Amino acid sequence: MSKSYSGKSFSFHPFSKIGKTTTRFFEFLGKYLSITWWMIRNLRNAKEYSRNITQQMVMIGNNSIPIVIFVSTFVGMVTAVQSSYQLYDWIPRTVVGALVTKSVLLELTPLLIALVLAGKVGATITAELGSMRVTEQIDALEALAFDPISFLITPRVLAGIFMFPILIIFGDLVAILGGMFGASAVAGIPVEAFISGMKSSFETWDAVFGIIKAVVFGYIITSISCYLGFIVEGGSEGVARATMNTVVLTCLTVVVMDFILASVLL
Amino acid sequence: MIILRNIFKSFGEKHVHQGVNLEVRDRETLVILGKSGGGKSVLLKMIIGLLQPDSGSITVDGFEVTTMKYRELQKLRLKFGFLFQGAALFDSMTVGENIELALRRHSEYKESDISERVQYALELVKLHNVEHLMPSSISGGMKKRVGLARAIALTPKYMLYDEPTTGLDVETADGINLLMNELKTTLGVTSIVVTHDIHSAFVIGDRFAIFENGRFILTGTKEELRSSADPEVRKYIESEIQI
Repeated sequence: MSKSYSGKSFSFHPFSKIGKTTTRFFEFLGKYLSITWWMIRNLRNAKEYSRNITQQMVMIGNNSIPIVIFVSTFVGMVTAVQSSYQLYDWIPRTVVGALVTKSVLLELTPLLIALVLAGKVGATITAELGSMRVTEQIDALEALAFDPISFLITPRVLAGIFMFPILIIFGDLVAILGGMFGASAVAGIPVEAFISGMKSSFETWDAVFGIIKAVVFGYIITSISCYLGFIVEGGSEGVARATMNTVVLTCLTVVVMDFILASVLL
Repeated sequence: MIILRNIFKSFGEKHVHQGVNLEVRDRETLVILGKSGGGKSVLLKMIIGLLQPDSGSITVDGFEVTTMKYRELQKLRLKFGFLFQGAALFDSMTVGENIELALRRHSEYKESDISERVQYALELVKLHNVEHLMPSSISGGMKKRVGLARAIALTPKYMLYDEPTTGLDVETADGINLLMNELKTTLGVTSIVVTHDIHSAFVIGDRFAIFENGRFILTGTKEELRSSADPEVRKYIESEIQI
């Protein structure tokens, strides 16, 4: 091993650590991008695995409906109550409907549902693919002349891209209804006033922006979780580590992308 | 015929293969004997391109595996059946679906013929009425049999067995050995069996290759093995005598 002038090994040198971390980051990014590129190049094979896509749409979409209802309802109610609390007495109460609608469509529902699904969907995908990796099921697929990326990753990512917008549109509706309930039951704002504020502030672009975010978040969460599951090493401990990394990395990427999309599109 | 020439492979600092040479003749069963964790399974995975050697050549029926394009590699893999150490059954699918999967994707069988073919594969491994069961609800020995049925469903030319009897009781292991011999007779396949179970090796093998410290130290018949004076080879013969 090379030695520094002081006789200490280079591996303890801070620059060595920075170098290793940078190399690992670019290796990670390179592999992630090469899997993404492979997936895009072989997208035409996706129709052969349409059954897998349907299964994943059920897993990501249908199975997430209860948690989406729960989160969205409370997001709407909290937004309504807090908006009402923050308003001065001389501001018309209809503003609460406008605030809830804008906040929910533009930010709260897409972001919070994405963060919740990063935990639920992302962790499930990584654990599933990671277990398949450590029990040689992915090797078995390859040995049977299947392309594991087209068979395992593409259906999950496509299902994420299709189902996240649907879940978020659904979440938007539930959150607005929750907001309406919260506003009337807790803050004493009449439903008519809430609806009037909602109508006056509604812009189609707000909803479209939320859907664009949903597509991006769907892609980020499913692709990262698939990738981290696909490359698992080290048995069940490796699966646990990859699952935790998925939750952390997808959540961080979602909030960063949230800022980038808002900066670029709004 | 499968030929490995001068294969080198390392994982980090661990040099698992240091100049491996091996020839597998058509319709023979070659048993690779060696310590666990020595790199025997890696050899099997390299033969079908699941892993790449650092250097060296692997040819199957005259075609170089190490430089093959992905599509060619997929075609080559159809010539192989692979029984993994833990069977590697797809745990989200039933036993029947596990066997059907490759048939639906790679064969010309009609829908009605596929179920017949599944039945045939299961009968070959002496299993009945298990198609609807999930892998989690069957025993280790049954999993190996289902793995075997899945591997032979497309009638491969070559069979690769990775520790086929490890973790099984003597009776079940003998059943698997018998099955491998029957498949050889029935289907006429060329087989490579990786094991550290000398008893199984002598039941199923035509030739034997002893893998030690990253290379083969001896390749030959049972008689050649028994007459060897090499202390590393004698270890295996003596362990057989103890059995």
